[in-house]
Amino acid sequence: MAASPFQHDRSVLLAHFESFRAEVDDYNDRRERLIKASRDITNLSKKVIFLLHRIALEDDETSYVRAAKRGFSKLREVQDIYAGLTHELAGDRYWRYQRQVSPGLQEYIEALSFAHYLQHGTLIPFHEVQRSLSYPDGTPYFPLTVADYMLGLSDLTGELMRFAISGLSSHKGGRTKATQVCAFVRACKADFENYTAFVPDLRKKQVITSQSLEKIEDAAYTVVVRSSEYDLPPEILDDIVAQSISRFSDRTQKRSRGFEEDFSDDFT
Amino acid sequence: MENSEVEMLNDLLDKDVEIREKIKEQVNEFDKKARTMTGILNRVHSTPLEALTNLLESVQPVFLSCRETISQLASIVPENQFWRWKDMWTNSLRTAVFSVAMVEYLTKRDLISLQGVSETLGFKAEWSSRVALPAEDYLHGVITMVNDLSRLAVNSVTLGNFEEPIKISIFVKDLFAGFSMLNLKNDVLRRRFDSLKYDIKKVEEVVYDVSLRKLATVSKESKVDAEMNI
Repeated sequence: MAASPFQHDRSVLLAHFESFRAEVDDYNDRRERLIKASRDITNLSKKVIFLLHRIALEDDETSYVRAAKRGFSKLREVQDIYAGLTHELAGDRYWRYQRQVSPGLQEYIEALSFAHYLQHGTLIPFHEVQRSLSYPDGTPYFPLTVADYMLGLSDLTGELMRFAISGLSSHKGGRTKATQVCAFVRACKADFENYTAFVPDLRKKQVITSQSLEKIEDAAYTVVVRSSEYDLPPEILDDIVAQSISRFSDRTQKRSRGFEEDFSDDFT
Repeated sequence: MENSEVEMLNDLLDKDVEIREKIKEQVNEFDKKARTMTGILNRVHSTPLEALTNLLESVQPVFLSCRETISQLASIVPENQFWRWKDMWTNSLRTAVFSVAMVEYLTKRDLISLQGVSETLGFKAEWSSRVALPAEDYLHGVITMVNDLSRLAVNSVTLGNFEEPIKISIFVKDLFAGFSMLNLKNDVLRRRFDSLKYDIKKVEEVVYDVSLRKLATVSKESKVDAEMNI
């Protein structure tokens, strides 16, 4: 078709659109690949969290450190995935696809920080998370954001709640540990509060952290009350605590109606 | 958390807040300019053809003033962080793209290229990792133009310009064909593209009305084109 002076040239116009096709496809394909990688990372990280719980519950003195060691080595698989993604996330791409990367990254941080807690009893520092996602010379694969770091840590408190409560009945040192975890989660909650203004999603997660904390507090309370009133041998105490826990979980089930993500979220 | 850790995190966050605030300032300006543009271009619907050139020329200074905003943004956004911050000015930018494309169409009867918009608004290649015009925003702006052209098809008839709807009809159909070439995902762009058919339908009804009543004295050439396209 010949173009009149008053009219556009159809073929030029179509060629112009044609030039966007590769760009649009490239974006969509990379996006898909990153979503897939993020899902793989989420799955692997969840498995590591299960593994950490499982080994930590073994009833001996070295179980926490043993769990952490196994966890760290399993998490290398996740780190390898990130190492393989560096090209997809180079330069500005990381920011472009951040929404696709974040979910897996937060799950990874949750698992990593849990392993770190089991080994050191502390919160993993920001730079250590970043270092786990860096080349040997220290150059990061991509810049870690405070938001992802915080949101990953916020999920840690839920794991610690499970860890503390299940440790009560299955681990000899479980009662002391539960009190420690209780203090730790309480400190976390206070620390995180400072960042709710900067990290919008953190406020919602703080609600969950409060619930987790309350559960640990109730369990720690049970420990103190029983052991102060009666001078009983540990086995019998274990029994009493176990009963109280089963009553406790009935109660929380009732309370958490409409809060489905409560216990089930990370176990699905 | 250790005190040093808290300080380090606060430092990181403060830096981000500072950048955000500086960008926000520029975006407010950009927003004002975008509103000025749409304000002027809205008068297209009530301006007779003879007065159109003057109206369109009055937008040019606003386009020029955008260059200042874009260069300010380029100086604020850190290297390789374009995609981190761009959401903040996406709306104003799309409005600007729409305005540039609309003016180009009404003056030259042609689609302005992405490169063309980019030059008009003063994007520079060396800023590409700080500020740039992404295809997505360009395409959004073009769709907004189609939306507005379907209105113009109606309003030009009211103003007694019976040929305008026919010209618009040919143009938007080709644009639709262009969009159809892209494999769009299920996102906002895709939904807006899907809605283009209603704009085309609206224009077509106007064309039908004016042709049937022999209101349009179509030049031979564009009549042939119109038939070929319909």
